[in-house]
Amino acid sequence: MLKKKSLLELIDDLRKNENIVNWHEIPPQEAQTRPIPESVDPRIREALHKRGIVELYTHQETAFRIVAAQENIVAVTPTASGKTLCYNLPVLQEIARDDSSRALYLFPTKALAQDQKSELNEIIDEMGIDIKSFTYDGDTSPAIRQKVRLAGHIVITNPDMLHSAILPNHTKWVSLFENLKFIVIDELHTYRGVFGSHVANVIRRLRRICKFYGSDPTFICTSATIANPKELAEQLTGNPMRLIDDNGAPRGRKHFVFYNPPIVNAPLNIRKSSTIEVNNLAKEFLKHKIQTIVFARSRVRVEIILSHIQELVKNEIGSKTIRGYRGGYLPKQRREIERGLRDGEILGVVSTNALELGVDIGQLQVCVMTGYPGSIASTWQQAGRAGRRHGEALIIMVASSTPIDQYVVQNPEYFFDRSPEHARINPENLLILVDHMRCAAYELPFKATEEFGPLDVTDILEYLQEERVLHRNGDMFYWAAQSFPASEISLRSASQENVVIVDQSNVAAVKIIGEMDRFSAMTLLHDEAIYLHEGVQYQVEQLDWDHKKAYVREVDVEYYTDANLAVNLKVLEIDRTNDRGQAAVNYGDVAVNMIPTIFKKIKLTTFENIGSGPIHLPEEELHTSATWLELKQVDPEIGTKTLEQLLLGIANVFQHIVPVLVMCDRGDVHVTPQIKAAHTGLPTIFIYDHYPGGIGLADDVYKRFDEVRESAKNLIRRCPCKEGCPSCIGTEIAGMNGKHRSMQLLSLL
Amino acid sequence: MSSMRERMNRLRGSQEAVTEGQPADQPESAQAVVPASARQETAAGSSLAAAVKGDDHEAVWTKLQVTERGNEWGSFLQREVRYSLEHRHGHHMLSELADTALHLKAFHSDESGLAAPAMDNLLFLDLETTGLGAGAGNIPFMAGLAFVEERQFVIIQYLIRHPAEERAMLADLQDRMDSFQYLVTYNGRTFDWPVLAGRFIMNGLDRAELKLKHLDFLHPSRSIWRNTLASCKLSYVEEERLGIHRVDDVPGSEAPAIYFQFLADSNPAPLEGVFVHNELDMLAMACLSIRFGRLLDNRIAGERYAPEKPEEWIRTGLWLERMGQTQQAEALFRIIMETDPEGEPSLLLLAARDKKIGNWERAVLLWQKVAMKGHVLYTSVYEAHIELAMYYEHRAKQLDTALAYAKGAQRVISDRAHLHRADAKRRAEQEALSNRIERLTRKLSR
Repeated sequence: MLKKKSLLELIDDLRKNENIVNWHEIPPQEAQTRPIPESVDPRIREALHKRGIVELYTHQETAFRIVAAQENIVAVTPTASGKTLCYNLPVLQEIARDDSSRALYLFPTKALAQDQKSELNEIIDEMGIDIKSFTYDGDTSPAIRQKVRLAGHIVITNPDMLHSAILPNHTKWVSLFENLKFIVIDELHTYRGVFGSHVANVIRRLRRICKFYGSDPTFICTSATIANPKELAEQLTGNPMRLIDDNGAPRGRKHFVFYNPPIVNAPLNIRKSSTIEVNNLAKEFLKHKIQTIVFARSRVRVEIILSHIQELVKNEIGSKTIRGYRGGYLPKQRREIERGLRDGEILGVVSTNALELGVDIGQLQVCVMTGYPGSIASTWQQAGRAGRRHGEALIIMVASSTPIDQYVVQNPEYFFDRSPEHARINPENLLILVDHMRCAAYELPFKATEEFGPLDVTDILEYLQEERVLHRNGDMFYWAAQSFPASEISLRSASQENVVIVDQSNVAAVKIIGEMDRFSAMTLLHDEAIYLHEGVQYQVEQLDWDHKKAYVREVDVEYYTDANLAVNLKVLEIDRTNDRGQAAVNYGDVAVNMIPTIFKKIKLTTFENIGSGPIHLPEEELHTSATWLELKQVDPEIGTKTLEQLLLGIANVFQHIVPVLVMCDRGDVHVTPQIKAAHTGLPTIFIYDHYPGGIGLADDVYKRFDEVRESAKNLIRRCPCKEGCPSCIGTEIAGMNGKHRSMQLLSLL
Repeated sequence: MSSMRERMNRLRGSQEAVTEGQPADQPESAQAVVPASARQETAAGSSLAAAVKGDDHEAVWTKLQVTERGNEWGSFLQREVRYSLEHRHGHHMLSELADTALHLKAFHSDESGLAAPAMDNLLFLDLETTGLGAGAGNIPFMAGLAFVEERQFVIIQYLIRHPAEERAMLADLQDRMDSFQYLVTYNGRTFDWPVLAGRFIMNGLDRAELKLKHLDFLHPSRSIWRNTLASCKLSYVEEERLGIHRVDDVPGSEAPAIYFQFLADSNPAPLEGVFVHNELDMLAMACLSIRFGRLLDNRIAGERYAPEKPEEWIRTGLWLERMGQTQQAEALFRIIMETDPEGEPSLLLLAARDKKIGNWERAVLLWQKVAMKGHVLYTSVYEAHIELAMYYEHRAKQLDTALAYAKGAQRVISDRAHLHRADAKRRAEQEALSNRIERLTRKLSR
């Protein structure tokens, strides 16, 4: 039996590891507290005392004070800093004062809502006041629903439920809407991109209904650290906000370590697998009974790492104390794992970003990330899982060989000195806005002069009238269609007219396993495509484009498919131009015409091309916003062929770096180079939103272009490869001094 | 607004304009004619669509007997039709309401201090709405009311020419409701009333709970005809059980499209079909009131509209029992035993009721009838065997008889084994049965 080492000893061991490329220490912070305000109801004070709370952290106290003055707040707090008290305290205080008061809590997922209800009910029980809090979601039974509508003081739900069940049936919720004092939006930072743009409109509808019933609720939002919490909260709620960021929670010393696996093939710049390194690191801590969380980027990866670690430590501590955690686990299973982590029965957990959100698992000692989580905000959230209020904590990020991972570990200042990403939404995206105006008109008739966001919406009302969805009488527009619009609109779908994926493996039990937007479906769900869903391979047997259905069957094959997409870009309108002499950066509307041509079958193990086939699909057109970079003068000696290669390489770098900088999923932004753009004949690189009408990403790239360009140059410069590798500008560029020339071109911009 | 349309089409990637409101072509049923029953009584006479040409909308309204009404909230339209109480609609004559309404009190027997239902305190209600469900955007464009006044069956049908007239219409409707004690609907508990309650709120009217006592006849209809009729929709029930045959009825599901067309072109002619449909629904509700009143008054046997099938007899009896009419129920059960419908699966319903109240003698008799005479492929035969096996094992303590029935059940299972896939439920069934046989054999061998 080996002697158990302490975390401090293990940290000292780790300092000697040659693969550590950066060691960052975050000093401990003492708790900053203030007394519980005099005005707090004695029953609440008593309940807090029972839970050992005799003073409030500064941010909790500030939140209470400002909310009491009926100002809207957004509180930015790291993981485990007692943020729930920022909203529970003012809400409970108000309901204790006036039993008729109501509050609505919004959480991005059902699981978080359940957690919150349990926590809230514990305090309420200790208060000894009859305050009823309920979750209202798809799982709520019809018998309870009635009760929630009439008697729930605090209704805990998610935006989807608000959108499709509560708002369209608001007359059943009179007692909620008439007495609504607070709207709590937790995990505000998750409302970004398409989802956030939808939710902003759902909140517009919510406010409209509150106004109808004569209530004017205060918004209390909480967010993880992002660059623009106040701006996001204001955009989402349409209300001015006060930012609260005087976090007073204590924390122990944290060591944040970047680990870069050793290079095993120098010319190609191939490194040892990050998964193997993570397995070995995690094993060390677990062997010494140190509670550790491992983050992996996909569900499949979670299972692979889990089985490896369980195997590695089974003789020392038994595999039962190491668990996996990801979407797809049953709620009961998840609760059991969360409890096990809190009370220390479970020593290790391997998770997807599912545990990034506010689920309460207590505080662990070590956090190991398999690769860069994709954004600074996300990284800090995962890191927040390690770190007790007292004592040391260790966070290790193990880089994979992707360009962005390599960029981050080699540019630690990028990570540590920079504020995290901006969360972008575009509630004025026309498609999204029109969808929600339909829902809003269903809920209450529109007055011609009524506001719905910052834009004048008269045009849209008249358009809907022309479409015979609305009926105009005088200056009022009434819903005049048979449909129930909310059921046709999903808040989380990437675009309209999604392709539904139908699994017909079992003829007797055909089931729908997912949806995909029509643009992505062209290359991922064409006939004979291999489609991966939760780690299972399916082959597309038929893509019924007219009815937007893909029929798939489970298969077990040794290859994946890769489709070629011919893309043609047309500039429709130039909104802004920044002339930089030899180059120009533009922003405006573009039409993207896409037609898939062929697909290749690629062997999983060797990446050999083992076959191909044609794709027969009609051309699709996407109208969206784009930022494009024109090279007006290029050294003619470069030659067209080389220039084309260089543009491809730079586009590759942008495709890696832009999603990270603007905080979106990789597929949300596309980059396409053209050697001769149709409208100018100039070499051009387009960066565009992959959603009709745009969601503000290309706009962000335009505004922050200098930063984007510098990041791209840095990525190429710091990449240790000699002449380009998949981690930077790609490999097809060998022998032309590609890295240097790419950076030269970038400097023109 | 074509630029907005162009932008939307571009973003949606669709070339042609998409009209999502309603189908462009007008439904054929706009050509509806007044059914025979109504024709004699009303002055609406012949088919309006044919009679009125061009844009003479005024003439159509007149023909439809529609007049404008108003109150402090504005104006709306109203159609009034009066039937003599001697009017026969299907099997029943409206005057029968006079001596049957009283018996509907069984629906609210547990409440004291209520005025008993009578012909002149019932208000019949049926809404025609622009969509489905009780969501905030579903607007009742037509509200039909009916009641008895001065020996006549009066039907008042409100119609709004556009949504802005809704408040005035609802205010009038609310006023009228105040003078009645009972609200009669078909599915009004989950549809008509919640929709109205929501509309009162949306229009800033009185939000009080329903003051009238509700008689929703969908529920008793389901209790009685659940299995013997293909559907418990009103139009189906009235045709199969009330002797009412509609001619060229405009189905309720087509009403919204007709109304949206009217909103667009103001031509009232196609609305005739909707008025008539609504009118017929209210006549049918009156007939159902008579029917249920009679059932509750035990005026069933020997009547030409007596239940047709043994299951209906049994379900009627069970329903009467739930309504507190135990004597009437028992009378029905006796009739069933006399007619002796051997092997009828629904006898199990009565047996279950007898088992529950401890009337073992008849329960055993019923199970035996099913077990011995039922078609061997019926699930009921198997269930009857199991019930008998349980009875003889646990109550009569005759283990050998119990085993015989358990083995009988086993035979039934193997006889119909080829009909079903061995799913989880059947495997569990089979396992439970094997355990039973094993246990009985063990007990017997002691």
